[in-house]
Amino acid sequence: MSDADVDTAERIVVAGYGPAAHRLVERLAHRGHGGAVTVLGAEPEPAYQRPLLTSVVDGTLPSGALRLPAAPEGVRLLLGVTATAVDRERRLVHSDDGRSHPYDRLVLATGAAPRLPDLPWLHGSDGQLPAGVRVLRTLDDTAALAGAAPVTVVGGGPLAVEAVLALRRLGRDVTLVHRGPYPLDRHLDPRAGELLSARLRALDVDLCLGRTARAYADGKLRLDDGRCVAAHDVLLCTGAAPRDGLARSAGLAVDGGVFVDDELRTDDPRVHAIGDCARPAGPAGSYGGHTTAWEQAETLALLLTGDDFPPARSRPVLRLRARELDLVRLGAPDGADETVVLADAARGRYARLSLRDNRVCGAVLLGLDRAIAAVARLYQRGEPVPADRLALLLGAAPEYAGEELPGDVVVCHCSNVTGTDLEAAWQAGARTPAALTAATRASTGCGSCGDELRRWCTEFVRREEAVSA
Amino acid sequence: MSNVLVVIGHGMVGHRFVRELRARDRDRSWRVVVLAEEPVPAYDRLHLSERARGAPEAQLSLPGADFASDDGVELRLATRAVRIDREAREVLCADGARVRYDALVLAAGSRPFVPPVPGHDLPGCHVYRTLADVAAIRAAARPGRTGVVVGGGLLGLEAAGALQALGMRPHVVEGAPWLMPLQLDEGGGAVLGRQVTELGVAPHCGVGLKSVDAGPDGTASSVTLADGTVLDTSLVVFSTGVRPRDELAADAGLNTGERGGFHVDGHCRTADERIWAVGECAAVDGRCFGLVTPGYRMAESVASTLTGETPAPLSDPDLSTELKLLGVAVASFGDAHARTAGAMEYIHTSGAGDRYAKLVLDATGNTLLGGVLAGDSSSYGRLRSLLGHRLPGAPEGLLGAAL
Repeated sequence: MSDADVDTAERIVVAGYGPAAHRLVERLAHRGHGGAVTVLGAEPEPAYQRPLLTSVVDGTLPSGALRLPAAPEGVRLLLGVTATAVDRERRLVHSDDGRSHPYDRLVLATGAAPRLPDLPWLHGSDGQLPAGVRVLRTLDDTAALAGAAPVTVVGGGPLAVEAVLALRRLGRDVTLVHRGPYPLDRHLDPRAGELLSARLRALDVDLCLGRTARAYADGKLRLDDGRCVAAHDVLLCTGAAPRDGLARSAGLAVDGGVFVDDELRTDDPRVHAIGDCARPAGPAGSYGGHTTAWEQAETLALLLTGDDFPPARSRPVLRLRARELDLVRLGAPDGADETVVLADAARGRYARLSLRDNRVCGAVLLGLDRAIAAVARLYQRGEPVPADRLALLLGAAPEYAGEELPGDVVVCHCSNVTGTDLEAAWQAGARTPAALTAATRASTGCGSCGDELRRWCTEFVRREEAVSA
Repeated sequence: MSNVLVVIGHGMVGHRFVRELRARDRDRSWRVVVLAEEPVPAYDRLHLSERARGAPEAQLSLPGADFASDDGVELRLATRAVRIDREAREVLCADGARVRYDALVLAAGSRPFVPPVPGHDLPGCHVYRTLADVAAIRAAARPGRTGVVVGGGLLGLEAAGALQALGMRPHVVEGAPWLMPLQLDEGGGAVLGRQVTELGVAPHCGVGLKSVDAGPDGTASSVTLADGTVLDTSLVVFSTGVRPRDELAADAGLNTGERGGFHVDGHCRTADERIWAVGECAAVDGRCFGLVTPGYRMAESVASTLTGETPAPLSDPDLSTELKLLGVAVASFGDAHARTAGAMEYIHTSGAGDRYAKLVLDATGNTLLGGVLAGDSSSYGRLRSLLGHRLPGAPEGLLGAAL
C-alpha cells in the first residue's frame, strides 16, 4: 500500500465486534490512528474471548472473565447493532437500528455462525432448532449447557472435543457422534486419531464414530446404525460458516468467506475483511482460528496506519484447550522431506514432525508436554531442529550407552558369535576380518554382519593403539 | 565301539547339526548316518533365486556338505525315511533299508503349504522350496509373459525376483494389506510395495486368490483373484507358507504341536529320550520357527547335549530377516511389531518416503527391542547386534547411512 492511499484521518467502520475486531481497534489506537472509528457489534456483549467458552461451560471461569479489555477511548462502540447493508458507492453502512455510518475504510469482521449439518430432522418448518438441540458460539449459548442429564455432542472438530471434555468435567454422561473415523480427523493422522479416541474413551466418553444422527425424540438420538443414545441435550459442534452475507449482498467476491489478498483487501480496495469471515489467498481448509484472526487484525492495523509492513506469514497453530489432553497441531505436512514419528501407545503419547530443510513445517503432538513447548518454539521461529530428535520429543535425552561396543552383543546370529568371542579370537592372533571369520565362523552365513565384523576389527586396533600410546 | 546317530533330513539345519556334532565329538563316540531325501547334499536354500538367475548349483553348496573327507559320517542321498520303530530303535527307509539308532535327530524341515483353491494342482502350478522346484520353474518360464506368485512373504518375493530374472513379468498376490506382513509394519510395507512396483513387480495386496483356471489344453492359463481380477499366466508359484514335516510322528507315537511339528522341550528332546527334533520340523514347547537362525540354535543345543554337555534351554529365538532383492532392501529385527509391553516406536521417513526406519524402544526410550528398515537396510547388521542393549547414541546417528 502506498502512502498516498493512507489518510490518517480516515473514518473506519468495523462491522462486527469479536476478538479480531477488538484486536484491530486496540492496535489502531496504539498506532495513533486519528480518524473516527465506529464499531457495530451484533451481540449485546462487548468483545470476549470466544475460544474460552468451554471454560464457562464447565464452570472454570465466570462468564465475565472472558471479557476483553474495554475498547480504547474515542472508539464509537455500538452494541446490539447489526450492520445490514453496505452502499459501496456512497461508502455507507446501514444498520438495523435505522442509522447509516459513512466510512473511508470498511472492515468486515462479522465472524462465523455455527454450521448446521444437513439433516432433515434438524430443520423444522419454523426454521428453529428442535427443543434440546443447541450450538456453542456465544456466551448466551453456555447457559443452556448447565445441568446433569446425559448429553450428546455431534461433530469432530476442536470445539466438539473441547465441549465433550468440558461436559465430562461437569460429570455429565457424554456421547460423541462423529461421521469421521476419529475426532479431529481433519487435523490428525490415523495413529494420532486412534490415540485421541483411546484417551477420550478412558475419560468415559462414549464415541460413536463413522455415524450420523438420524432422528431425535424423547431425549434419545437415533443413529444411522439404529443405535439410540441418551441425549437430554444435543450439542451441535459441526463447524462454523463464515458470515459473509453482508459482503455478498454488497456485491463483493465471496465463496465460503470474503476473498482477501495479502493485504486483507477485498475486491473493493476500501473494504477489508479479517477473522473468521475472511478467506485469505492460499490453500483452502486452513486452520488456526483465533491466532490467524489476531495476526490479521495486527497486520491490518499496521497497513491502515501507514506502515509498509510485509504481510505476516501465517504459521497456523491449533491447540486443544483441555487440561486432560495436551494436543497441538502446527503447520502442515505438505512438502516435508523428512518425517519423524514417536508413538508411545502405552502412555498415550504421540508425535509426528514434518521437516523441510531440517525445520518444522508441520507437527502433531499429543501428550508430550515438554516436546510441545520446544517444538512450537522451533516452529514459530523457523529454527533448525536439533540432531537428536528422539531427545527433543521425549523432552530429555535417553541414557545412551556411548560408542563403546558391548562384549555380550551377538555380532553374527547365523554362527552365534559374540563380541567377546571376537575379542578372544583377536587376542589369539586373528588380526583381520578374514582371520576373525576363519577363527569364529562369524559372517559365514547370511553375511549381513560383515560391516559389524569390520567395525569390531577397527575397534580392536583402536584399543591396542590406545594401550600402546 | 561308537554309538549310531541317525539324522533324518539334510537341509541347512540338519547339516549344521552334523557339523556341530562332528566338531565337538573329539573322541568319536558317535557314528553318524544322514538320510537325505533330496538327491543332492544340503545346500543354501536362502539363495535359491541365484540358481534361478543361472548361478551354478555349486555356488549354493554348503561347506563340507558331502562329507567326502569325513569317515565318521555316512550320507545316504535320495533316501526317504518312512517309519520310525521306537521299540526296535530302527528307521525304515523307502528303499527297504533299516537303520538302527542309539540316538535319532529329526531334521526333516517343512513342506510348502498350497491353499486348496480350485486349480491349485493344475500343470503350471509350482512351489518354491528346492533345487528341483527351481529347475521346474526355469523350464516353464516364458520370457515376456506374466508369472504369478501367490504369497507376498519373504520367499514369495524371492520367487518373484527369480521369475523376473527369467525374463517374466511377475505379479504377486498377497492377502494381507501389504507385502511381508509378518516382518514389516504398514510403513515399511508401503515403501516395499512402491519400490518393487517401480522395479517391475506388480503387487496385488489385500486380495486373495480365488482360483487357478485351466486353458483348453488342461494346463493353467490364468488366475482369478477374489476381487474379480483375472491375470493371464501359464506359470503360478505358490509361496503361501510351510507346514512342518512331521508325518513320521503319528506311527511312532510321538506328540506334535498344535500347529504341527514334533513336540520337543527347551532342549529339543521329544518325549522319547533317544529322539530329538531340530529346525522347522520341531515345535519347541509347541512353537515352530520357519527361519534358519532358530534352527541353528537348536542344532547347536542338541549337538552339545549329545557330546555330554548340558546347554541352557533355548531362549526366545531371533526372528530377524533381511531381504535384498532387485535393489530393494528391507529388514526386520527383534520385536518389529512393538508387542513388548510398554514399548514405544520411533519412526524416521526420508527421501520422499523412499527410506523408512523404525526403532522399537523399551519404555525408557533407550533400549533397542526391534525395528523395521525399508528402502535402505545398511544399518541392519549394527542394529541387530544391539538388540536388547541400550542405544549408543541418538537414533539418527545409528540410522546414519539410512538417512
